[in-house]
Formats: sequence, structure tokens, C-alpha cells
Amino acid sequence: MKKMIQNHLWTYKGVKLTLGIVVAITIVEAVAIILQATWLAEWLFRLFSGEIFQTTWTLGALFLLAFAMRYLMSTLKKKITFQFAEKTRVETRKQLMTKLFELGPSYTNKQGTAKLVNLAMEGATQLRTYLELIIPKMVAACVIPPMVLIYVFFQDKLSSVILFFTVPIIIVFMILLGLAAKKKMERQWHSYHLLSNHFIDSLRGLETLKYLGKSKSHGNTIKKVSDEYRKSTIGTLRIAFLSSFALDFFTMLSVASVAVGLGLRLIEGNLLLDVALVVLILAPEFFLPLKEVGADYHATLNGQEAAKAIHTILAEPSPACNPILANTLNWANNSKLKLSSVSHSHDDNGLQALSNVSLQVNGFEKIGIVGASGAGKSTLIDILGGFLTPSQGSFRVNQQILNTLNSEAWQRQITYIPQHPYIFSQSIADNIRFYEPTASDEEVWQAAKAAELDDLIHSFPEGIEQEIGTGSRSLSGGQEQRVALARAFLGNRPILLLDEPTAHLDIETEYELKQTMTALFKGKLVFFATHRLHWMEQMDRIIVLKDGIVVEIGTPHELMLRRGEYYQLVLSQLEGVQ
Amino acid sequence: MRTWIIPYVKMHYKGLLASILIGLLALACGAALMFTSGYLISKSALRPENILMVYIPVVSVRAFGIFRAVFHYLSRLTSHNTILRVLANMRSRLYKTLEPQAAFIESRFQTGRILGVLSDDIDHLQDLFIRTILPSTTALGMYGIVVACLGWFDIIFALLMAVYLFFIVVFIPILSLWSSRKRTALIKNGRYDQYHILTDGLLGIKDWMIAGKPNDFMKQDTMKDQSVAMVEKRTKNQQQIRDLFNQLIIGAMVISMVYWSSTMVAEGNMHVTLIAAFVLVTLAIAEAFLPVSEALEQVPEYTESISRLEALEETEAGKVTPKPNASLSAVPRSVNILLDQVAFQYPAFDKQVLKDVSISIPQGKRIALLGKSGVGKSSIVQLICGSYAPTKGTVTLNGTDATAYGDSLFDMVSILNQRPHLFNTTIANNLRLGNQQATDQDIVEAAKKVQLHDYIKSLPKGYHTMMEESGQIFSGGQQQRVALARILLKGSPVVILDEPTVGLDPKTEADLLTTIFSTLENKTVIWITHHLAGMKHMDEIIFLEDGYIEMQGSHQELLATFQRYQNLYYLDVPPSIRKMVQI
Repeated sequence: MKKMIQNHLWTYKGVKLTLGIVVAITIVEAVAIILQATWLAEWLFRLFSGEIFQTTWTLGALFLLAFAMRYLMSTLKKKITFQFAEKTRVETRKQLMTKLFELGPSYTNKQGTAKLVNLAMEGATQLRTYLELIIPKMVAACVIPPMVLIYVFFQDKLSSVILFFTVPIIIVFMILLGLAAKKKMERQWHSYHLLSNHFIDSLRGLETLKYLGKSKSHGNTIKKVSDEYRKSTIGTLRIAFLSSFALDFFTMLSVASVAVGLGLRLIEGNLLLDVALVVLILAPEFFLPLKEVGADYHATLNGQEAAKAIHTILAEPSPACNPILANTLNWANNSKLKLSSVSHSHDDNGLQALSNVSLQVNGFEKIGIVGASGAGKSTLIDILGGFLTPSQGSFRVNQQILNTLNSEAWQRQITYIPQHPYIFSQSIADNIRFYEPTASDEEVWQAAKAAELDDLIHSFPEGIEQEIGTGSRSLSGGQEQRVALARAFLGNRPILLLDEPTAHLDIETEYELKQTMTALFKGKLVFFATHRLHWMEQMDRIIVLKDGIVVEIGTPHELMLRRGEYYQLVLSQLEGVQ
Repeated sequence: MRTWIIPYVKMHYKGLLASILIGLLALACGAALMFTSGYLISKSALRPENILMVYIPVVSVRAFGIFRAVFHYLSRLTSHNTILRVLANMRSRLYKTLEPQAAFIESRFQTGRILGVLSDDIDHLQDLFIRTILPSTTALGMYGIVVACLGWFDIIFALLMAVYLFFIVVFIPILSLWSSRKRTALIKNGRYDQYHILTDGLLGIKDWMIAGKPNDFMKQDTMKDQSVAMVEKRTKNQQQIRDLFNQLIIGAMVISMVYWSSTMVAEGNMHVTLIAAFVLVTLAIAEAFLPVSEALEQVPEYTESISRLEALEETEAGKVTPKPNASLSAVPRSVNILLDQVAFQYPAFDKQVLKDVSISIPQGKRIALLGKSGVGKSSIVQLICGSYAPTKGTVTLNGTDATAYGDSLFDMVSILNQRPHLFNTTIANNLRLGNQQATDQDIVEAAKKVQLHDYIKSLPKGYHTMMEESGQIFSGGQQQRVALARILLKGSPVVILDEPTVGLDPKTEADLLTTIFSTLENKTVIWITHHLAGMKHMDEIIFLEDGYIEMQGSHQELLATFQRYQNLYYLDVPPSIRKMVQI
């Protein structure tokens, strides 16, 4: 049972108090159970001895009182644990969200947004359910059986001995059978895993199967594999269910033995019926809390998994924040940014995504960043945007030395346009004014016009108040980029970070966007990471990355003359197909 | 409900009935154990002279105890076995529903995510059987048995107990379900909103950071969470009160039972040994009835799954699937494709995608299709594949309508698209999907042609390596090569390339295209692309716009005639850079 309670249970705020209250209530509950049994037995005994209902009804009333008390206590217990569990859920969820924002986009990307959203929604609820189940059950299993057993011991020693010795037998058998089931599961795990994933794999590959002309015949395979899956699952269940069978079998047998033992001693006259009745009523109550520990196995397991996942994230070290950067930073033509030996590795295995990058940029330079996939372009952009704190190296912004650009003052200078700008589920106007919530409708219109979004907005039935984003009207890739550009025009922030903004667009859309984008570059510091080398004509300097290392820096002209990496990139792209 | 639950109940009624009956036996044994125990000790208390007088109860107490466990075990196994059979049927049905839509599944559902949702829906229905239908039906059965048994002694009292149990088994569960339905909907909508807020927060995390307002997000999220939590709490309260109430009814049942049995004994209608027996059994059978409320509580969670699955088949029913009537005795070596004055719009959409398009593609020709997204490039592919019929004009392969071929069309045409699926089996099996008759030698040949052989050989298990989650073994470019090898093994005379290089970097793209074109010598190639790199190698380039062909001709022709093509070409290949290279 200890295994079921994980260590972090003790770290939740208020757990000891809750536990204390639940223990107190459970003790009252156990007393009620015993009283309920005693009064019922007494009542039945007197009726058995010839009395009639009318003269014994007070015992019935007492029984009902104890009975009601017992379930009242149980309800109270549920209420208190729920309150605690809910509080813990809210608290944990808040910690999780705060942590995620601290860890930043590189972490959320690596972990997968869907998984994290699921953890914050389902995971936190599963944690609540787990606490709700485990606390009362654990306390009940620790409090009720011993109290019942002690009471039975003073009534009838032999019965209490039978009950007592059933427990270790049950535990031994459950462990043995559990191990057998686990062994069988492990042996079959591989094929089981394959079979259970076969269906979803088939659905995902349906299009491919169709194109191969195999989709019809595969329908029969689905049936066949599902049948195999059933057989192998049932094979495992046959053993897995045995442990609950053992629990059932031994408790029932134990109750039966108690009953038979009582009967035989009654015949011999060594025992009175009222005692026998109490013991018989209490025997199932003795096992009930033990049985319930094993119930809701899946909910418990899910809760534990969720708690583990959440606590793993909470245990991640937060990156150092750098509040030193003055809030008065205002990037201008004479500003300077210097990177000194900046390195970053995504994993602990030391593989560096970026190593030893040193460079200086001045004022409103336009810097192109090129290189093959995985060369470190996005990592560099993320570091420049302060989304990522490099593992090594330092920055100098004008006169200040920093170890990260993750600072509000710096990020206020930035407009960031990725390959897929995120469109929030809001009106198009609110999407455009996302960085500048106070902008007026007039200003939003100006920005939309500059980004050539006006035709699109006019075509919307609700104009600028039209809801866009997931779940409502979705935009094409080119339109999404224009919304991002409108944001940039509206904010007019002096630094522009572009991460492959046109990689996925068709050439005509890119052609149309190019005019708008070049207009935006004026009077700004631009970092532009891309595969599309035609943009390099607009750049002052180009950084060429290869395997995380800066291999070349220079003007486009210089780099072409060097006939190095950049020249090779241009060559491979010029013709596309050799 | 009518199409996804009832047919399966009918189809598997034997298995379901068996598991319910065995479940009832288990409950009955549990009840009988307590009944006999009560009888046994009462009888013994009368001090019979001979122990043999209580021999039968002594034996049956033990037997009931053992059988209760055995039946319970058997009932669980039977029910799981039956449900897994149901699951197998449902899965193959879902597959058969989706199969005809395979060619446009991506455009209908946008992502593969929905497929996962549908698969989960089926799993939910499995839970519906295990957690709701079976326990509720078993409880109803037990209800009948209890009332019938008591009726044998005293009809009036049996009716009273029937009323008590009616509350626990029918009235309260339904009342609780009904009264919480508004809250259930509130919670569902609230969760949906919350999901959106969170997704917005995490996917737009960089924007929140740059906007400098992560706290706004946290506030918004917390507020929504609190409002949902409030409703959840009320639901929880209701459940707790309901459970307490159910328990009190059981308490009342016990009291009534004592009253009735003692009166029966006093009137001489029943033996005194049965009082304890009846009272103990009342306490024991309560366990059979209490779970009904909880079981019904789950119902709203299933309705969504059911309606999603039903909607899938309704849209399916509205669509006319063309009947194949031409079959290929042998795969022709040469295929001439002809689109003649084709107009097309998707069913249920009022926008005409193609208005008047004529294209002739004789065997061996290489054409490129260009145009903005949404212009109808993919529609042309779907028309050639016979997935849709044109609204006007004809699309023919060797003179026969494309729709007439059915699946045999794919013996002539292969498609390499953006995301070829690699199945979770060995590499060799994945390649062999192209041609089941392929020998190991053929497979190695194909892998060599797509330049994967050396890499595959370097894996510890070589061609027998399991694919696991696609992408773990092969990079994006390599996955395309696996799919290409499949197509080579298939050996069809026409290959359609539907933007296979999207998302690859230029170097990888160029290498892959080089391999593609060198291996597809002599085949017809229809290449949908959005860049102009490689256009020199195409026989014909077709630009689509507004449903018509805007430009058509070879690279040299277009460059000479169309200013627009020049502009685009020079964007992709800037003259200044070009000049630098030629120095």
C-alpha cells in the first residue's frame, strides 16, 4: 500500500491537516459501523428469542441512527477530501503554467503543446481524482479493519483469528498472481503493443494504402488483427483477473468459515446467538476497506502518472532571469548588440545546437541567417528573441553585459514573425493589436492597409471584428503572414526577427508578400533566417551556419566571391534538379 | 445510438446475455452466502441434537463463498471477451466507412488528429458496454430476482421492496442524470473554451512573451478554470447527496425487512430462523444496486462519441460513390491521360474550383502544375484518380472515364505526397507494400535505386528493422525515399508528385528531386509544386488561376512570352546571384 502513496503527496499544502481530519472522521465511522452491527444483532437476537417488533423498536431506531451516522461520516469525508484535492489541483495547475512560461517556448515545443495542454487539463483533474480516491481509502484500510478486528476479538477470539490470518494469505496470493500477470504481460508486450496500435496505424496510413491499391483488402486484415488482439488480451486478462479472484475467493471463504465456526460452537452451546450475529455482520465489513483499495485501479494509475509528469516539469530548473536591462532601452541607429561565444545544447548529451557564436551588429543592419536544416538558424533566432537562454556565453547590449536576452525591456523592442505566426481565437482586429492592446481601430486599419489585408477584411461579413483562428474562420498561409506583418506595422518596434516566414508559401504568394515585407525592413534591425536565398539581396550581411557553427560572415557579394559554403548553397538551389 | 449500439447488442446478444447471467449468479451466490450464514447460526442457536441437522447449510455456505468468486471471475472474462469482439466489429466498420473516402481524407479532416479521435471514440463505446450497459442490466436483473423471491413469500411486501429498489435503480439515477444535464453541458463547454485558451497560450507563447503580458494570460486562464470548477463542485455535491440518500433507502429497507420478517414469524407464517437470514441478505445485496447511479452518470460522455461516429456515416450516405465498371485484365504499359474541358466543384461547396481546363498527358510526358494554394491543383489529381467525377467535361485514361476504374486505377497511377505513411512493421514489409510478389532481391534493388540501401544496411537489423513511430529511423527526405522505392516496386506507368518536398531544406530537396527524376525515366510524371526550381527539366509547365489555365508551355517558352513568369523565375533565381555564379 505504501507504494501507492508517492512521496510528493506529502508536499501538497494542507495534506497533513486533511489527513488528520479524515482519520478522525474514519474513527467515528468505524465506531458507527461497530455500533450499527451490535444494535442490529441485539435487535435480531431479541426478536429471535420471541419478542415482537413493537417492544424492540428502540433498538431498530438506534441501528438506523448508527447506520445514518456511518454514511454521514463517509459523505463528510468525501467532501473534505474533495476540497483538498480541488485546492491541490488548482495550485498544481497554476504552478505548472507559471513554470511553463518560465521555461519558455523552446521547452513547450520540445515537449509538444498538445501533451502539455492535456497535462494541464486532464492531468490535473486526474491528480485530483487520485487524491480524492487514495486518501479516504488509505485511511479506511488502516483504521477500520484493525478496529473491527479488536472488537471481534473481545466478542469471539476464534473468529478474529480466522479473519486476521486471511489477510496475509490474500496478500501473498495477490503478490504471486500479480507477478505472474506481469511476467505474462512483459512476454507479450511487444506483440500486444503492435496489435493494439495496428488499427490507428492503419487509419493513419489509409491514404497511402489507397494509393497503393491495398485499402480494400486491408479491411480483412483489420478484422483478423482485432481478433488476434482480443485473443492475446483475454490471455492476459485471464491471469490479471486472477488476483482479484484471489481476493474474492479468500474473503468469501473466510466469511464462510467464520459462519460455520460460529454455527458449530452455537450447537455445542459455547456461544450466544447475539455474539454470533455481531461477528457475522462485521466479517464482511472487515474486508470491505481492503477490497476497495484495489478498486479504481486505472484511475489511481492515471493519477499517479499525471502527478509524476507534472512534478517532473516542476522540477526542471528555471532559467536565470536577467532583470538588469534597463527599462529605458530604445534601440536606435547607434545601438550595438554583441554576442560573445554563445553556445547552446538542447539536451544534456552535450550535442550543441549552436556553438561559440560571436558577432556584433550595429543600428539598423539587415542580417541574413542561412544554412541547412538543423544548422542552428532557429536556435539563434530564439536566443536573439530571448526565448532561449544559451547554456554559455554572454551578450552586450550597448554598455550592459547580460547572460540572456530573456528580458521584458529587450523583448519590447522586438517583432517576431515565424513560419506559422500564431493566430489567436479572437477578432482579426484584436489579433493585429495583440502587441499593442491600446491601439485604436483607426490605427489597426492603418496597419492592416500597410500589410495589404484590407481587401480580405472587407470580404468578411463582420469586417474587422471577424473572429479568426482555430474553430472559426481559418486563414491561408499567406494571410496569416499578413496578419503578422500588420502586427509589426502597428507596433513599429525597432527590431525584426524573421524565422522562415515564406518557406511554406507558393512562389506567387511569396512574390506578392515580398514587396510588403521589404517596406517593413526600413529603419529596423532585421534578423532573417531562411532557406530562400533571394532574400539575401536585401541583406547587408549574411551569417552562414553549419552544424551549429558560424562558418562565414560577410556581405552577399563577399561571400559569393569566397566560393565557400554560401556559394555551395546558392549553387544547389539555383537549379534544384541536376 | 441506433446504429452504433443496438446492432452490436443484437449481434452479440449471446455473449452479453451470458456475461449478465453469470454476473447475476455471482451476485446471487454472494447473497445466498449471507442468507445461509444467517440461517445456519440461527438454526444452530436452537441447539439441534445432531450436527447433521445443519450439515446442508454448512456445506452450502462454503460452496456459495467459492462459487461467488468463481462466477465473478468468469463473468468478467466473458464480458471482456464479448466486448473485445464488439470492438473488432466496430473497428472494421469504422475502417470500411473511412476507406472509400481515403483519397480525400486529408482535405476533409485537415489533420490525422481526427483519426485518432475516431479511434478513441470506438474505445469509449467499449467503456459504455463495460461500465454502463452491463452493470445496469445486471442490476435490473437482480432487481427482478429479488422482487420475485420475496413475492413467493408475500406479494404485498415484495411490492414495497420493489418501490424502494425502484428509487435506487431507476428513479434516482435518471433524476440525477436529468437534473445535472445543464451543468454537464456547462462543464463541457467550459472545458472546450479552456482548452482553446491553453492552446492559444502555449502555441502563442512567444507572442505573449513579446507582448510582455504573460500575466494577462494567466489571469484569463485562472478565471475560466474557476468558473468551470464551481460547476464541477456543484455536480460533486449533488452526487454525494444522492449517494447518501441511496444509503438511507437501504437503511429503510433493512428496517422494513426486520418488521416484515418478525411479523411473519409472530403470525406463524415463517420459521424464526429466517429473520436473521433475511436481514443479512438485505445488507449483502445492496452492493448490486448502488453502482447504477454512477454507471448512468457516464452517459453524456458517450453521446458525443456516438454522434461523431454517426455523423461520419451520414455524410458518407449523402455522397454518390461512382461504381467501377471497367477492370484491368493486365496493367497497360502506356497510359494516355486526357482532361477535356473540365469543370469541377466539390459536392456541398458552391465555389467552382475548375472552370474550363483541358490537358493532354501522353505516356512519358513530364508536366508541372503550379498555382496559388486553393487553385485546384489537388482537385486535378483527385479527378485523375477518379475520386471525384468532373461536373462538366471528361477525364479519361486511355479513353475510359477515370471514375470507372475504381481501385484498379492505382495499378496505373502512383502518388507520392507530402506525408507518405510508413507502417509500423519492418522496413522490408513497408517496401513490399508496393508489390507483394517482390523478391528480397527486388527490394534491395529498389532501395539501392533510391539510395537508401547503405543506410538500411547500417541499421543493426537491416531490412528487418521495425519502423516504430515513423520519423525515428528515417528523416523527412528518407521517408520520401522509402515511399519512392515502394512506387518503383509497384511499377506503374504514371507517377503523380504532390508536393513531396514541402518542408525539406533546399539541399535535401534538390537531392531528392534528382533521385526522383532519375528513377522515373520513361514514366509520365505530374508534379505539383510551388517553386520554380527544376522547371527546366519539365516538358510542360501549367499555371492555374481562377479555374483556368493561365500560362502553359515549356520553361523556355514561358520565359520568353510571359513577363509574369519571368518575375517569378527571377524571384527564385535572382539575376544578380545568377551572374555571380556564372563568373
